Amino acid sequence: MLAVKRTRRLDPDPAFTAAFRELAPRLPGSANEPLARIREEGFARFLALGIPTQRDEAWKFTNVARIANRPMRPATATELPLDRVLPYLLGGPRARRLVFVDGRLQPQWSHTGGLPQGVIVESLARAAETRPLALAEALGELDDGRSFTALNTAFADGGAWIELPAGLALEAPLQLLFVTTGGEVPVMSHPRCVLRLGDGASLTLLETHVGLGEGAALTNAVLQLALRPGARLEHDRIQLPAAQGSLLAKIDGSLGAGARYRQTTVLLGGALVRNEHELRIDGPGVDCLLSGVAVPGTGEQSDIVVRIHHRAGGSHSDQYFKHVVEDRGHAAFAGKIVVHPGAQKTNAYQKNDNLLLSDDGEVDTKPELEIYADDVKCSHGATCGELDAGALFYLRSRGIARQAARAILVHAFAAEVIGRLADPTARALAETRLVARLGGGLDGALVETVLGEAA
Amino acid sequence: MLTIENLQVSVEGKPILKGLSLTVEAGRVHAIMGPNGSGKSTLAHVLAGREGYEVTGGNVRFGDEDLLALEPEERAHAGLFLAMQYPVEIPGVANMYFLRQAINAICKARGQDEIPAAEFMRKVREQARLLGIGEELLKRDLNAGFSGGEKKRNEILQMALLEPRLCILDETDSGLDIDALRTVADGVNRLRSPERAFLVITHYQRLLDYIVPDVVHIMADGRIQRTGGPELARELEERGYEGLLGTKLAA
Repeated sequence: MLAVKRTRRLDPDPAFTAAFRELAPRLPGSANEPLARIREEGFARFLALGIPTQRDEAWKFTNVARIANRPMRPATATELPLDRVLPYLLGGPRARRLVFVDGRLQPQWSHTGGLPQGVIVESLARAAETRPLALAEALGELDDGRSFTALNTAFADGGAWIELPAGLALEAPLQLLFVTTGGEVPVMSHPRCVLRLGDGASLTLLETHVGLGEGAALTNAVLQLALRPGARLEHDRIQLPAAQGSLLAKIDGSLGAGARYRQTTVLLGGALVRNEHELRIDGPGVDCLLSGVAVPGTGEQSDIVVRIHHRAGGSHSDQYFKHVVEDRGHAAFAGKIVVHPGAQKTNAYQKNDNLLLSDDGEVDTKPELEIYADDVKCSHGATCGELDAGALFYLRSRGIARQAARAILVHAFAAEVIGRLADPTARALAETRLVARLGGGLDGALVETVLGEAA
Repeated sequence: MLTIENLQVSVEGKPILKGLSLTVEAGRVHAIMGPNGSGKSTLAHVLAGREGYEVTGGNVRFGDEDLLALEPEERAHAGLFLAMQYPVEIPGVANMYFLRQAINAICKARGQDEIPAAEFMRKVREQARLLGIGEELLKRDLNAGFSGGEKKRNEILQMALLEPRLCILDETDSGLDIDALRTVADGVNRLRSPERAFLVITHYQRLLDYIVPDVVHIMADGRIQRTGGPELARELEERGYEGLLGTKLAA
């Protein structure tokens, strides 16, 4: 008998099994047989897939085992005072939101009342009670061969079920806020979100990941998107993990004819943050715009993976990702556009611009096109440069100190992406945090004011 | 105010300034004229503190400070301003935001309070109006896509707002049509005062018809070759560098 060849994966730490056995009876929907079975299957799949190593092409630039393959445990209930969370409540006074701390819904800060007829916004735990079969089906239908997705299916704790009926435009933004506190033993949480927009429905989603506290934490998030024809989704993502916090986020989505999906991600901080996207364009007239900026410094890695499948012709997709690498930071980007046979008149673009601020930083970029149709417009490009010495001197010669001049120029590089955030409060938070991070005594409010005036 | 003694500067091992000496007094306008490659722009850059120049000898005193020991921003704080020949385009940084940062940085370094937003706006608009700079240009990104004339006006605007003691103008006339030249020169002339000195670096006599210098220096081969009054510029215009200095130096 041949041994199973498993050179590319590591066997997961046994602590995962112990945690799953201990936790399974308490996870949302555990009393429901189909849901419990899906979780068991998810866990078995996770064990079979193992933890990827850098010999795995998809993880070539990223050593995920160092943060993921070690004993971890689910968080115990944490009490946080409101003022710790307040700066991250986005979307203005009319916003609806679900707030999770270490995977647990915080009803005192959540607000989903007064939504129009037919709109569903409920936590995963609630969905496990109200629609266990639909949830089991949704969890079960996503098998992307990715061990962390399987792990999420097994452990899914926080997260939400969101549905808008056809034709409904929800004007108030909806925020999903995930707060992670961390612990002495690394703490893990596995938010799972299912978002479905009916024909022509429209939503602004603010997805925020925030790390509070010194301890190590892993947030393993999965979001399943389905946009019916003509639906529109503005998706602002602000990710502010703590120094010892890591975030693995996977977005899997399908976009129907004429759908419009705009996603902007701003990442500051985190030991390892990997944002993966797998999007399928299933009809003509789709407009899909993904943008992101991250500023990894020493001990931090930002890893962006994008796969866009044009399965139908006549659609447009655009990827625009920027990295600023400071000190010993590490940035990786792997973007792929696949134009499937027959998807003529596809327009697909991809750009990855990098600003490398130190000799010790690392930038890996891998743009890829795979085209099986002949009448398409596709392009990809990647750049890597340092700060313009002439510009730096110009600012300093006007009395602006080196650190501030550097901050102004880095800000200018990142600002274009931040400006794409749909929600003004998300923009302000990203802006303030970026400016604080860059140092140099710049005033974030001033940047916002002056940029606002200039706009 | 500015005393340069036997300044020697190399770029990538090649000597450019070869023992330049020059004294500029407060309240005076000094012009430096010279052929291409004589080291004029190198002098301007070295005084402002740009990297890439190796000072191999001599010294420069600005007031009572050793200028060459200061960082570029410290030179600006001490009151030195270089209006550049090629102002850098900086996309993503709004002109107005940049001006505010620069003024505040200089106020702070000089121990003054930052100027309130309303006063700042009033000052900027007033100076911009005098220089024929439209509101739209203030809102755009710094120098990005500005015409040559707009860039030079923007330099003079910064000079007016930052109130330096010593203004160095590096080929400010290059790329300007006659109307823009007049506007820029008027802007400079408005700033002339007993406390402020100017070092006007130019290739041509033309600018000096509008900014009339007190002293004219002819520079060639990395040194000041001749010094005189405004009449020296006119003599140069008639005889050319070769006629004035001899063929060898002008080569």
